[in-house]
Formats: sequence, C-alpha cells, structure tokens
Amino acid sequence: MKGTVFVELLKMAEGAFGEDVVDDVLDKADLENGGAFTTVGNYPCSDLVKIVEAFSDHSGLSAEVLQRKFGAWMMDHFGENYPDFFKDKSNSFAMLEAVDGEIHVEVRKLYPDAELPKFVTERKSDTHLEMTYSSPRPLAAFCHGLIEACVERFDETAEIDRGPTRPADNSTTFQIKIE
Amino acid sequence: MSSETDDRVSRRRYEREQRAREEAEALLEQKSRELFLANKQLSEYSTTLEGAVLDRTAKLRSALEKAEAASTMRSRFVATMSHEIRTPLGGLLGMIDLLATDETDASKLELLKYAKTSGEALNRIVNDVLDFSKMDAGVFVFEEESVDLRALVESVIALARTNRKCEDRSIFAKVDSTVPKLFFGDATRIRQIISNFVSNALRYSVEGPIIVRAKATPDPKGVLLRVEVEDFGIGIEPDQIGNLFKDFSQISTSLTAAAQGTGLGLAISKRIVEGCGGQIGVDSTPAVGSTFWFELPVEVLAAPQALELDAQTDAQDSSGVSLVGKRVLLAEDNVINQKLLLTYLKRMEVDADLAENGRVALEKFEPGKYDLVLMDVAMPEIDGLDAIRQIRTKWTEDVLPPILILTAHVMDAIQDEAASVGVETVLSKPIPYDELKLAMQSAVGAMKNDVPVPPEPPVIPKNESPDVFALMSADAVQQLLETFSPEDLTDLVKRYVIDAQSIVADMRVLYENNSHKQLSAQAHSLKGSSLLLGFSRIAELAGEVEMRAEHIDATMMADMTDEISNILVNLMGKCD
Repeated sequence: MKGTVFVELLKMAEGAFGEDVVDDVLDKADLENGGAFTTVGNYPCSDLVKIVEAFSDHSGLSAEVLQRKFGAWMMDHFGENYPDFFKDKSNSFAMLEAVDGEIHVEVRKLYPDAELPKFVTERKSDTHLEMTYSSPRPLAAFCHGLIEACVERFDETAEIDRGPTRPADNSTTFQIKIE
Repeated sequence: MSSETDDRVSRRRYEREQRAREEAEALLEQKSRELFLANKQLSEYSTTLEGAVLDRTAKLRSALEKAEAASTMRSRFVATMSHEIRTPLGGLLGMIDLLATDETDASKLELLKYAKTSGEALNRIVNDVLDFSKMDAGVFVFEEESVDLRALVESVIALARTNRKCEDRSIFAKVDSTVPKLFFGDATRIRQIISNFVSNALRYSVEGPIIVRAKATPDPKGVLLRVEVEDFGIGIEPDQIGNLFKDFSQISTSLTAAAQGTGLGLAISKRIVEGCGGQIGVDSTPAVGSTFWFELPVEVLAAPQALELDAQTDAQDSSGVSLVGKRVLLAEDNVINQKLLLTYLKRMEVDADLAENGRVALEKFEPGKYDLVLMDVAMPEIDGLDAIRQIRTKWTEDVLPPILILTAHVMDAIQDEAASVGVETVLSKPIPYDELKLAMQSAVGAMKNDVPVPPEPPVIPKNESPDVFALMSADAVQQLLETFSPEDLTDLVKRYVIDAQSIVADMRVLYENNSHKQLSAQAHSLKGSSLLLGFSRIAELAGEVEMRAEHIDATMMADMTDEISNILVNLMGKCD
C-alpha cells in the first residue's frame, strides 16, 4: 500500500491526538518498519489495519468511525493536492465515476506496480448512483468516508447506503442517492 | 497535548523521521538507477533498430538490383534471340518462295502455301516479341521524322487490300483537313498502330465498311492528332475491354494467343502510344462494332505558303505540284546513293545532273541552269556545306535556286550548320521516295496543280523476293520496291556490297595509317548507304567507327571490320 496513505493517517492522528500519543501508539504497535513511513515507499496493508486498531483502543472510537473519518481526511487531501482531477467535474457522481477511468490511470503512470481497488459505477437515475468497491483490503468503511466527503465537497447531500461485503469477491456495493 | 508548549521534537520522533528519510533516499537512488538502466536499454533498442533497418534496406536494395538485372538480362536475351530467329526464318520463307515458283503440283503448292502462312505468322510473333523485349530492355527508340499521315493511311489501306480475304471489303480513309500535311513523329510506329487496328477490324468484322478517320485539335505542343479505326463487327463485351491492352507479362498464354491471331499488337500499340506521350483506347458496343483510337500530341512541320494554301482548298490534293521537266543538280559521292536518287529523280521525270562531289558541283553550278540543288554533306574534296557556302559567296540570293541538304548525320547536329549556310530543309537519309518528292515539290513551290496523284500502293512481290531482301529491314525493302523492280534492287545490293567491301578495305588501311579523319569519312559513307538499303547492323558498326575513329583499339577495329566483311560475304551469296 502506498506510503502516502500511512503518512496522511498519521497526520490526521497527530492533529486529533497529538504527536506523543501517535509516537506511543506507533511504538506499541508491532510494525514492520517501526513506523518510519515515507510517501514514496510501499508498506503492508496489515500495518494500516494495526495502526487503526491501536488508535481505536487508545481513543475508544470504533475502527469503523476512524476509517470513515480517515476517508474524509483523504478526500480533502486529494482535493488540495490534485485539484486538476476536480476542476472539470460538476458533481460528485462525475467525480466518483472518474476514479477508475481517469484517476487510477494517472496513478499507474507514476506507480506501475500499485495495487489499486476497483470502482464500478452505474447510474440508476439522475440522482441515484450505484458504486461497487472491490479490494482484497478490508477498507469498506474508509471507502464510505471518501464517498461522504466527495458528496460534501460538491455541496450536495446524499443518502449513502452501504451493503454488506461479499466474501466471494471482496466487494461492497454503495447506493448513493442525492437528496 | 503536552507538546503544545514544547517546540522541540522528541528523540524517538526524530529517529523515526531519520529512518523514513534514509528509506526515501534509498528508494530514490533505486528509482534513479532503474531509470538509468531503462534509458540505456531504450537507446540500445534504438541503435539495434537503426541497424536492423539499414540492414534490411540494404538487403532489399540488393534484391531489387538483382531482380532488375535479371529482368534486363531476360529482355536482352529475348531481344537477341528474336533477332537471331528472324534471320533463319527469313531464309526459310525465301526457300519456300523459291520452291513455290518451280512447283506445278497443286497439292504441293497448297502445302507450301500453308508453310508460308505459318512462317509469316511466326515472323509476326517474333517481331512482336522483339518489339516488346526492346521496350522492356529500354532500347526501344522513337524516331522523329516528318510524317505524312494521308500517305501513310493510304499505304496501310493499300496493304490491307492485298490480303486476299479482304478483297471484297471496303476500307476507306477520312482524313480531316485539320490534320497537318506534315508533322514530326515516328512514321514506322504510327503505321504499325494503324495497321494493327485495321487488321483487327478486318478480323473481327465480316461485312460493312472499315473507316480510318483522322483529325487534329490544337495542343500546347502543336496539335493533338486523333486517329480512329471503326468497324461494324462483333464488338467487345465491356468486361473484356480492360484486358485488351494488357501487357505481355499479364497475358498468361501470350504466345499461344498470338499464334492464334489475337496477338500482342494492342499491348505493343499501347506502349508505343504511351511512349510518345499519347493515349489509346476503344469504344465498343457488342454486336454493333468497335472504334479503336489513339491520340498523340505532335509538332507540326512548317509547310511552305503555297502548300498551305493548297491544303486549305483541298487537303487531299496537296501533293499535286509538278516536278516534270525540272532541272535538278544532284551532288552525291556514294555510288549506291547516286543510283537510288537518280532512279527516284527519273521516276519524278525531272532532268537530273549528277556531280560526284562538291568540287564538281561547284564547277557545274551556274544561276539559271538548275531549278533545284540536292546536296549531300559528307563528300570528298569539297563537302556539301562548303560548296553551298561558296555558291552563296559567288552569287546573290535572288539568282539562286532552292537548295536541299541530304545527310546521314544525326539531324540535330547538322540542322544548325545547314541554317548557317542558309538552308532550311535537311533531309535525313535514307529518304523515302514520297518524302523526297514532297520536299522537292515544296522547295520548287510550283503553283500549278496536276491531276491528283493517287498514292502508289506499295507493291511487294512476295513470291519473287530474293533471299537477300529478308536480310534488309522490312521498311527499306518496302520503300525501295516502290521504285525498283526486285531484279534492279538485287542489282543495287550487289553494287552496294562491292562498294562496301572496297570501303572496308580502305578503312582497314586508314586505321593502320592513323588517318582518323578519313577513316571517319569512309565509315560515314558506308553508314549512309547501309541505312539506305536497310542493312542496319552494318550501319550501326560503321556509325560506331565514324564516331570513335580516334579512340577505337585494334582488336575492336578488327572485330568490327571482320563482322562487316562477314555480313557482306553472306549478302553477296544471297544475291545469286
């Protein structure tokens, strides 16, 4: 998993819990590189899960809540650092539809070995988008947070219904209905 | 958050950041190395690719050169073989004629007739193949000579009428008055095409007339000549028209097809027309008939005013200027040319006076004594151009009769020199009778109209042709037989051989003595008489000696003179 995800997760944690807490958590968690993450490196996804669990233990917040908050944080991070992807999109559906076809294409140019999740979208109606997230990583809640933040970013409100994760293909389907 | 008051970073945080930085730097180095290696590999690919392209190009070029060389070799081989086949074939046909002359048994005569027909068919094929292979080998040269289309069309029609099957067919010409009296072109090739069209028309129609039409329209080069041959025969299905003009190589069974009479004629015609910058085609309706046509841009030969006026009043009647009784001074040193030209002049009923060289011509010439002077260029003592120059210095323009130059030189070279002595008309030897007559008529410029002289159909007494005619070019034989009887022509050839043998002996001596100029002059004389009688190989060899007299080496000289001698000996044998 790309180092930028870890770096951003720790930044968010530092903002929320402070540097010392983050350092304590990292020291205690059994991480492969002792928590020295850089944006250009690649790290095992299991480390991300461990870090999230450690913060959950520390804060009493559920992993689900933390992942969703982190999803929102990452959406803001993307918006600030990669405005080009956003500027020609008029609404959240257009943005979500562009993830696989545009954004991931650009990601692969820089990181040909990146293991990217799949996002399949289908417009059920003008206000209803079905989005299926497939990834071997247990990050459906993180994905949920990303979608919520995306809708918010375009000043929209939506009812987001997340289905169960199907173990057969590790996929999770979201029903996004703009209100 | 305890760190809010303390800006310093904890030791463990610092160390963690250090580790992250080292890792990032290591990753960066690794990426740089990978990038470098990828670049290196790319440039290697590019170099190999360039090498591969060069290598492939070289191979292709070499293959192309080989293929071209093979193709040229093949064409040359076919051309040579066809040429070699023609000679014995001519002998065979001659023998058949001889046998037929003495034969009285009707059944044997019939067989001889078949043998003769087959031989002639084979002869046509060989000629076609020869033409074709010459075109392929790029040695097919188009002549630029003055062409009289009316006479040419008439002669083609007259020849077609001699075919026994066509005795009852009506073939006629409609040459529009827009067609210039004379233009520059290759008469032999134009005749070949029209002849091909006419024989096709005869073959593919059983009744109805065959019409040869010609007209001309303005063109940047002069005029665009259009000749059509229309028949009312079986016509051609639209899907077959495309195949009609196809090349030799595209007709899979070309030889058998030719033997059956469909021929390479149209394919050759197409090449000829396109080689001269023209177009060829056919308009046809099945069961109604076909019109084969070709269009050629041609340069009009300026005709004198008198003829122009004449042509406007009646295009068919322009050759009616009488030469009868005109006094002509002929300056010509070569005995064969003397004999031929004097015979021509006698036939025109002019009063001819012969001067053997330029000096004699000068002695004989006086204003008022002659109506026309025909002057050869290369002559001993005083050459023709010099003689004309001296005549012009001695007398004023207004008392001089028209002077025509005759030459076997390359036209371009002599044209300027002729102009420098005030002569416009240069006639290239060998000169066909009609062309000489026409040139003399326009020069004399007599306005009086005779009864129109119908163009004489070429008489080719095939059954009596001596063997030796087969060794002469067909055109030359045809033209000469318009003037001479076969016996007289044979006699002329004999004289030519004796004359040529003495010239060759002279040439050998002159070469030994390094007298290049005289050697060249003798070779020129031999070339002239050989061209006249259609002995093209001798003319070619003599021409070579004329051109390169100074540079020729002894072996080559010996080879060339030996070859000429051998041909001459062979010729002499055929004359008996």
